[in-house]
Amino acid sequence: MATTDETQTDLVTVTIDGKSIKVPKGTLVIEAARQVGVMIPHFCYHPKLDPDANCRMCLVEIEKMPRLQTSCSTPVAEGMVVKSGSSEQVETARKSVLDFILANHPLDCPVCDQGGRCDLQDFSHEYTATVSRFSELKRVFQKEYFSPLIETQMNRCVQCLRCVRYCDQVMDVKALAPVGRGTLTEIKAFGAHELDCEFCGGCVQICPVGAITSRMSMYEFRPWMLKRTDSICGYCGDGCQLTYQTKNNDLIEVSSTYGSGRNNGDLCARGYFGYQVSEHPDRLKTPMIREGESFRTVTWEEALEHVGQSLLAIKQKHGPDAIAGLITGRCTNEDLYVFQKFMRGIIGTNQLDSSVRSGHLAGIKALQRVQGTPRWTVAFEDILEADVLMLVGTNVTETNPITGLKVKEAVKRRGARLITIEALEPAIGTISNISNLASYHFSVRADRIHEAVLGFMKSVMETHGVDQEIRGGAAGFGNDIFSRLSGMPWSKLEQMTGYETSRFAEAAAVFCQGKKVVVLVGQGVLRSPGGYGTTMNLLDLLLLTGKMPRPGCGVAPLAELNNDQGAFEMGAVGEALPGGVPIDHAETRQALTRAWERSIPATPGASFPEILGRMKAGTIKALLMVGENPLGSLPPSSGVEQAMQKLEFLVCQEAFRTETAGIAHVLLPVATAAEKDGTFINTEGHLQTVRKAVEPAGESRPDWEVFSALSVMMDDPMEYLDVRDIGKEIRNLLPGTRVLGPAPMPPKPDSQTVQAYMAGEYQRDVAVRYRLPEGPEPASDELVLVLTQSLFHSGKFSLKANGLIKVESAGRLYVNPQEAGRRGLGEGDRVALHNSQGSVEVTIGFRERIPSGMGVFPEHFDGEICRLFPYTVDPETKSLVWKSTVVRVEPVPVLPGSRK
Amino acid sequence: MPVYEPILLKNMEQPGYTGSLKDYEQAGGYQALRKVLKEYAPEAVIEAVKKSGLRGRGGAGFPTGVKWGFIPKDHPGPKYLCCNADESEPGTFKDRQLMERDPHQMLEGMLITCYAIGAETAYIYIRGEFRLGAKILWRAIDEAKAAGYVGDNVLGSGRTINVYVHQGAGAYICGEETALLESLEGKRGLPRFKPPFPATHGLYQKPTVVNNVETMANIPHIINRGWEWFASIGSPPKSTGTRVFCLSGHVKRPGNYEVPMGIPFRELIYEFGGGMRSEKPLKAFIPGGASAPFLTPEHLDVKMDFEALALAGSMLGSGGVTVMEEGTSMVWAALRLMEFFYHESCGKCTPCREGSSWLVQILQRIWHKRGQSGDIELMEELCRNIAGRTVCAFGEAEVGPVLSTIKHWRHEYESLIQESAVSGRGGRELPVLAL
Amino acid sequence: MSEKLQKEVKEILARYPVKRSALLPLLNLVQEQEGYVSESAMREIAGVLDLTPAQVFETVTFYTMFHLKPIGTYHLQVCRSLMCALVGSDDVVDWIKKVLDIGPGQTTPDKAFTLSVVECLGSCGTGPMMQVNDDYYEQLTEAKVKRILDDLRRDGTSSMKSGPFMHPQPVRP
Ligand SMILES: Cc1cc2nc3c(=O)[nH]c(=O)nc-3n(C[C@H](O)[C@H](O)[C@H](O)COP(=O)(O)O)c2cc1C
Ligand code: SF4
Ligand code: FES
Repeated sequence: MATTDETQTDLVTVTIDGKSIKVPKGTLVIEAARQVGVMIPHFCYHPKLDPDANCRMCLVEIEKMPRLQTSCSTPVAEGMVVKSGSSEQVETARKSVLDFILANHPLDCPVCDQGGRCDLQDFSHEYTATVSRFSELKRVFQKEYFSPLIETQMNRCVQCLRCVRYCDQVMDVKALAPVGRGTLTEIKAFGAHELDCEFCGGCVQICPVGAITSRMSMYEFRPWMLKRTDSICGYCGDGCQLTYQTKNNDLIEVSSTYGSGRNNGDLCARGYFGYQVSEHPDRLKTPMIREGESFRTVTWEEALEHVGQSLLAIKQKHGPDAIAGLITGRCTNEDLYVFQKFMRGIIGTNQLDSSVRSGHLAGIKALQRVQGTPRWTVAFEDILEADVLMLVGTNVTETNPITGLKVKEAVKRRGARLITIEALEPAIGTISNISNLASYHFSVRADRIHEAVLGFMKSVMETHGVDQEIRGGAAGFGNDIFSRLSGMPWSKLEQMTGYETSRFAEAAAVFCQGKKVVVLVGQGVLRSPGGYGTTMNLLDLLLLTGKMPRPGCGVAPLAELNNDQGAFEMGAVGEALPGGVPIDHAETRQALTRAWERSIPATPGASFPEILGRMKAGTIKALLMVGENPLGSLPPSSGVEQAMQKLEFLVCQEAFRTETAGIAHVLLPVATAAEKDGTFINTEGHLQTVRKAVEPAGESRPDWEVFSALSVMMDDPMEYLDVRDIGKEIRNLLPGTRVLGPAPMPPKPDSQTVQAYMAGEYQRDVAVRYRLPEGPEPASDELVLVLTQSLFHSGKFSLKANGLIKVESAGRLYVNPQEAGRRGLGEGDRVALHNSQGSVEVTIGFRERIPSGMGVFPEHFDGEICRLFPYTVDPETKSLVWKSTVVRVEPVPVLPGSRK
Repeated sequence: MPVYEPILLKNMEQPGYTGSLKDYEQAGGYQALRKVLKEYAPEAVIEAVKKSGLRGRGGAGFPTGVKWGFIPKDHPGPKYLCCNADESEPGTFKDRQLMERDPHQMLEGMLITCYAIGAETAYIYIRGEFRLGAKILWRAIDEAKAAGYVGDNVLGSGRTINVYVHQGAGAYICGEETALLESLEGKRGLPRFKPPFPATHGLYQKPTVVNNVETMANIPHIINRGWEWFASIGSPPKSTGTRVFCLSGHVKRPGNYEVPMGIPFRELIYEFGGGMRSEKPLKAFIPGGASAPFLTPEHLDVKMDFEALALAGSMLGSGGVTVMEEGTSMVWAALRLMEFFYHESCGKCTPCREGSSWLVQILQRIWHKRGQSGDIELMEELCRNIAGRTVCAFGEAEVGPVLSTIKHWRHEYESLIQESAVSGRGGRELPVLAL
Repeated sequence: MSEKLQKEVKEILARYPVKRSALLPLLNLVQEQEGYVSESAMREIAGVLDLTPAQVFETVTFYTMFHLKPIGTYHLQVCRSLMCALVGSDDVVDWIKKVLDIGPGQTTPDKAFTLSVVECLGSCGTGPMMQVNDDYYEQLTEAKVKRILDDLRRDGTSSMKSGPFMHPQPVRP
């Protein structure tokens, strides 16, 4: 692994077509040429991939070398003199390569979706290859169905293998196979089967010609007709930059660009194929007011008037705390900020909450408590440069696929060592599996991750002790935790995790050697009981090993939704004001009061579980629901239905008629991510600009506009010209929310906070965090059942995305085949799941990567099954924790005559 | 007929010699290995092989000792030896005989090589069709293992050397050394671009030597009888030792003949091969396997060594000499070989992949009397644009037959084109080009 | 997998430091046992070697010796490369056709014989030749071909097969 400073000092001078430049040693000639403005044509080269030098298009003349060299695979050397455009020999060679390629390439450009942005077309144009002299029969492949989303036209293939190499080297999926030999090689999926993979769309994007195209937009456009809008994906916390391509206000396709965005041009299925939400026929297009069992379409004026008056009336009659609000972390910062300002300043309550509560907040709170900032102290660049990476309960490929790609790149291309503690078996499947890349993998059941982390920490402490530096300053802290860990018997840890002490010790040794160590924490931790505590312990681990204040080291909780981080930082939770500061922070209160010219309620905020409680108790009478759907997403055990029924007034700002919207009194249609301007903050804490690509569906408006309009109706106007106006207000209050450039500048841990934490603050809950559970193990015939996010769904909209539904449209109970075999179950069998909460029937599916004793169900299809889940409220984060349960599994007898 | 002392074929020419370990030992086998382990430092072995002048017998003729010298000495990890037993070059069938008849000879050579380069593992990559050869090699390895020549602590030296046979599955390109490595890694046999060379980044990206079977078989003799002896055979200094030439085609006695390098083709063909099989005189011959450009009767006195052939515009290659009598169509011969190359191009490089299919179709057309004017010039141009523009030497190889037949027998092409009743693809359907 | 097979697989895996290297040997083994490489075999091998089925598939299809579908019990492969063609390999195809009434790419109705023409098998000095399953048959004549086919049908093998190979036999004064 070459570090940047090494290469920087090792510069060599090369001359290309007469232009000289100094570039780092090891730079490829083709890249050096690009830097001096010499574009060398190529098909198979791509900076993301290892050079393969197969297309032979990039040949150049290099002085003192006997024959033409491929510039894509030749590194520069001191004094090298390269001729590209200035060499006749090179010109002939390139022409001939085009000639060869065109020999078997069909001339179907007029019906090819790549037409107009095809490398082959462009180069042919540039090298004016006259009419092909190829008068033989062209190779013709039989047209085969490839997949629901991706189409192949193998007659157009130039066999550069970029798709295959991308699928392997970048994605680690390896779903594409070059089948056959010679000219008759074609790109296929396995055997006679259709493609089953991550559907990242990478092969479509990386194909230099029209051999692999998207079926979503077939024949709908010619590239030059499309308008491009760069924006940020609205699905997950990774915050990928993508480009919406539109034609007359229709979203035609999405693309991304190498070198731009935090994703550096990569996308996942959700980003690439999940865009058809805007135009969904089920979109709410007009405001509606309930009338008996149905809704009446009304004008915005009438709806706003009605909502404003109703809220005012309730406030007057019962006080401001009779009203509460809930917003989704899919909204922009501007929406979120105006929302909380509306709740606090106009309504006068701190009873507000957002989806960040249900997971990411556990991480944020831990970060804030230990390091004094709610943001990561690292960025994706640090993942790439880390020498040791640790993943704890992330299921990263499915929840945060692009963060996953950074991990893959660090491990596969830069030699980082990976330690994973995941509810995953290292097995090959149709989607990649991060644990396959681990040097040390601890495959534990979802409910044993905390114990595995304790075992790991114990091993680190026992073999390597506390870091020298902190031993002096915070001896008490170190000793305390050391002794707590020492008190845990290895026998019990081994039994709970299934791993031997020696295995922990080996991994611990690698961890301790790490100079740049990033620990990623995912939903498997953040959404499970004690997840906050596990995250805290991982922060302790970095402190104890002296890694924590060092640059390049940090704990990085993964945000689920695209703007969960923003929801917290904009103050869209009861207990925090904009900036994420506690609600009782006097200075901030003063500053806000001044800026808003309104007072801020002094009552403590309420989290959504608390709001639910107050709804049940009848003290909260009205609820403003922005993009959240508790009825459809919380388990019945939470009592959400009873609570909602008791409401006098429920307003839903929604894009679709969700379960919750179905019982609302007023429905206000709002814009989706592609339909509005604003900003998101991704999981790294990087603020990025969101741009409107299409007009909002029907009469929908951005959420902030609704709050603003309501304030007018309530005679307390809070008006903004546009999002920029809001942005200005936010930036004035929060200097950290400026768009700072292409990459985040992660904050440093606040040393005072860190010192105070180690000096004694940690004691507050240390006993709870360093304790092994006493409860009974699930009986051997019971299954730990976990709801997890799938790669193909995220947030509340993916179920409306036609492309994603084509890949995954229903849930199954996934278990590993051995587990199923033990229970006498086959794939597709129906089983009944029972526990004290009830019984539900589901269909069995196989996934090798699920550990034994565990079953996984995709949460987006949890409609029925969520009945089985009891809930708890985490005492620290006050979130509803309910994604796992224990069930008994019984086969459902197959009725005679019925088919499986 | 002149008599030369056989070296590699000596044992197997003894009546009753079975190639078993017992027979091999009785004939003096494994003495070289013993000697090396006792008396030679690894560098000394490399030095001796360098001085012997031995050059690779697989086709490229690279000096063997020099190749070994490229292996980094202080490399901490494993190193490998791969014996190239893929023998697929049309016209070549010597390795098969060396393996099936005297497997211990090459095995001993491999063991000495492993000692010299510091490899603990060696693989014999044998083409998939050679089932019998693979069986014989496995048996030989087992025997050698039982006798302590292979395995842990070879002959008490403290050295570990394991040897395994690895069978291919039908792909000529896997004889190319980097494709061989890819194939050995369980992948499609696509050549890698060089640099880096196998000597530093070979099998599993570790330092690796790839040597041909016949190259390996020479090693014990160089040790036993000294490099000076070896260097004096053939036409020193550049072409030392003997070669097992594979004679095929229209001769009376085709087969493998081991002769010192440097005898003229005439001698091999007329003395050893007994001359032409009928009264028809010799029209053309291929001097070094299908990749070597064709030569004419004028070249019969060319010496069979590396330089002389290079001067004559061809190459010694793999040692396969194919003789064609008067009446053989050179267009047809070129077509047959081009069909082979088309079938075997791995498909990695555009010029080779598309060029081979294009050339084959033009040749087919011409042969079936549907040629058109300009076809010859087009083929020449295509060939120029293939050779030197590809990852591996297959590119040069595949144009050899076409260019050389056009060069020497252009009139045959011209007259077929002139005879063409219909030109272009308007005529009969092309035969299906299936793999 | 049978126990014997499992043992064999283990022994093959032990030869290589990297699992994928065992791919060709395992495929060869499967084809030896089943006559061809089925999809389920590819999946199973992928499982053993930690590969995706697509990785096994791409490799299988590169090599001409693997069959993705069952073929006849006896696979007659006649070399058609130049050196054999010079000494009459095209005739061999005709002779076989005369006896079995099948052309290249075809299988006899009783699934006993499949005929293929292939490129050089490394037997150029003893052509024309053909390979039948594991065995080489060289210096073929029409009568010899007929006898080999009869032998195969009757005994499952033929004494006409050659090897260990040496040609010419040494001529001694
Ligand atoms: C297309 C191609 C096919 C080759 N086939 C063989 C082969 O079948 N056997 C062989 O020994 N070398 C073959 N070679 C040569 C090898 O690449 C390599 O040079 C040789 O194995 C090195 O061994 P040597 O130095 O002992 O000759 C081939 C080369 C090319 C380019
Ligand atoms: S020259 Fe031909 S055979 Fe060699 S790597 Fe390129 S395509 Fe493959
Ligand atoms: S870009 Fe260099 S060979 Fe393809």
